[in-house]
Amino acid sequence: MNNPQQTARVGLFFLLGLALTWVTFETLSGGKVFKDKGYNLIAGFESLKELKEGDEVRMAGVKIGTVEKTRLAGRRAEAVLRIDNTIRIASDATASIVMAGLIGTNYIGIDLGSEKAPPLQPGAEIHTRVTPDLNTIMTEIGSLGQKLEGALSSFGTTLNGDGKGGGLFQKLDKLVSDNSERVSTTMTNLQEITGKLNRGEGTIGKLINDPSLHDQLVAAIAEFKATASQAQAFVADAQGIVAQVKSGKGTIGALLYDDTAGNDLKATVANLRSVSDKLAKGEGTLGKLINDDTLYNTAQGTLKKADRALDGMNDAGPITAVGIVANSLF
Amino acid sequence: MKQLTHILEGFGSTLQLLLRSLSYIGTLPRQRGRFIEQCYLIGYTTLPIVAILSFFIGSVLALQAGYSMQNFGAKQFIGSLVGLSMARELGPVMVAILLAGRVGSAITAELASMKVYQEIDALVTMNIPPARILVLPRLAAVLVMVPVLAIIADLVGWFGGAIVTKYVSFISIEPEAYFSVLRRYMKFKDVLNGLIKAEVFGFGVVLVCCNIGLNTRGGPREIGAAVTRAVVVSLILILVLDYFVTKALL
Repeated sequence: MNNPQQTARVGLFFLLGLALTWVTFETLSGGKVFKDKGYNLIAGFESLKELKEGDEVRMAGVKIGTVEKTRLAGRRAEAVLRIDNTIRIASDATASIVMAGLIGTNYIGIDLGSEKAPPLQPGAEIHTRVTPDLNTIMTEIGSLGQKLEGALSSFGTTLNGDGKGGGLFQKLDKLVSDNSERVSTTMTNLQEITGKLNRGEGTIGKLINDPSLHDQLVAAIAEFKATASQAQAFVADAQGIVAQVKSGKGTIGALLYDDTAGNDLKATVANLRSVSDKLAKGEGTLGKLINDDTLYNTAQGTLKKADRALDGMNDAGPITAVGIVANSLF
Repeated sequence: MKQLTHILEGFGSTLQLLLRSLSYIGTLPRQRGRFIEQCYLIGYTTLPIVAILSFFIGSVLALQAGYSMQNFGAKQFIGSLVGLSMARELGPVMVAILLAGRVGSAITAELASMKVYQEIDALVTMNIPPARILVLPRLAAVLVMVPVLAIIADLVGWFGGAIVTKYVSFISIEPEAYFSVLRRYMKFKDVLNGLIKAEVFGFGVVLVCCNIGLNTRGGPREIGAAVTRAVVVSLILILVLDYFVTKALL
């Protein structure tokens, strides 16, 4: 039958198989031989999202431990973190679930915290912060897309119309096609105007193209400046005169500020008033001349008489003239 | 119809053989010599070919995965891909196929020749049930040896993948990173899953091969036909069982 060597080989082979199975078990299921050394911290979250046991714990990007266990604790989810013994985590450090890739790889990221804060003790709970995950971001992008689509469709309706009335493009098209002749005429006119401008025809054309106009304008401004300076001198003179008047010098000054002249003026005005009153009442020669018709009638009669006398002289005139001529001939 | 009858007949006789063999399970300690011999044939002598094949399967898997994954920057996950594929699927299936080709064919050839040359009839005449001394030790040996072959296939495949990922220029991932990812995404449950599958396949292959060998009729020419049929039926059985066992274990 079988020899001892064969039996030994089979036994060795079987033991090898057992050993390999044991090593695989220890390696993959975190047996005691390869168990991470360190201390535990508890991180409570509303949701652990894609976080799994065995995911990394990183501080400022450096791996400092692993997620040892995930569990439900009342109304929240807890991750038990296994942190390396050499690492001290400040009590005000914050843990968050960070997405490492788009295919569901996550890790726990812990910030450095402040330098002076005391370190967390083993078994303590670390502060946590909620970060938006891919689903939240995708949902927001989706709603944004819907809004954008709505805005674009209303924009499209404005441009292309909603089936009932024409859109902006149709209206514009209609406007242009209805008024194509006018638009064409307007364009021709505009072309003509710009042509004239370019050639220096017309007032604006000359204004643009003729340099002499510019010179004239400059000269006019210079004259205007000179006039302005003269006006300034005039105003200065006027101010001097006003000052003299105010100080009572000269005739106007005396008239305005001297009481004697004022009194004289008042007396003169009073005399004038009495003369005009007499004239109105028909007193004196002038008064009668203005108010009494008798003088007018007398004068009119006299004038009529004189007129008739002159007419008589005119009738006799030619006969006398003929007589004189005849006398001289004969 | 005749084909269907043949298939059903095969099922029935295989089941009968299994029950008959199990009924002699108490005699196993007394058959230690035969058991060790079968263990040697099934396990020890199959090891080199299993190791070589697994190594290259793991390497090719890593190579193909690296080539495909470099396009979308997922190269670092090769470790988990090779690890899971080898442990859950390729390791057990390759072990079972090698078993069918190397051990199953040998069993069928041996039993068929014993049947053709009326050795089996002689045993029956001497009141020694063939199921007891020819089938039971082989079934016991395959149950013990297949998990060992499967775990070796898994580990050698993983190492093959690690070597390829380190030394192929367009992948170049350090073994530490490769095994770190493999460890992160694998549980022992996955490996155990593969071992259970390998056990089921190995047991099925040996049982079918024994049954076909014992049911050979005719002359020496039938021995070759029986071996061919045994290997073909074993391969079909492995792949059909693979689906259902995988589904059941998920």
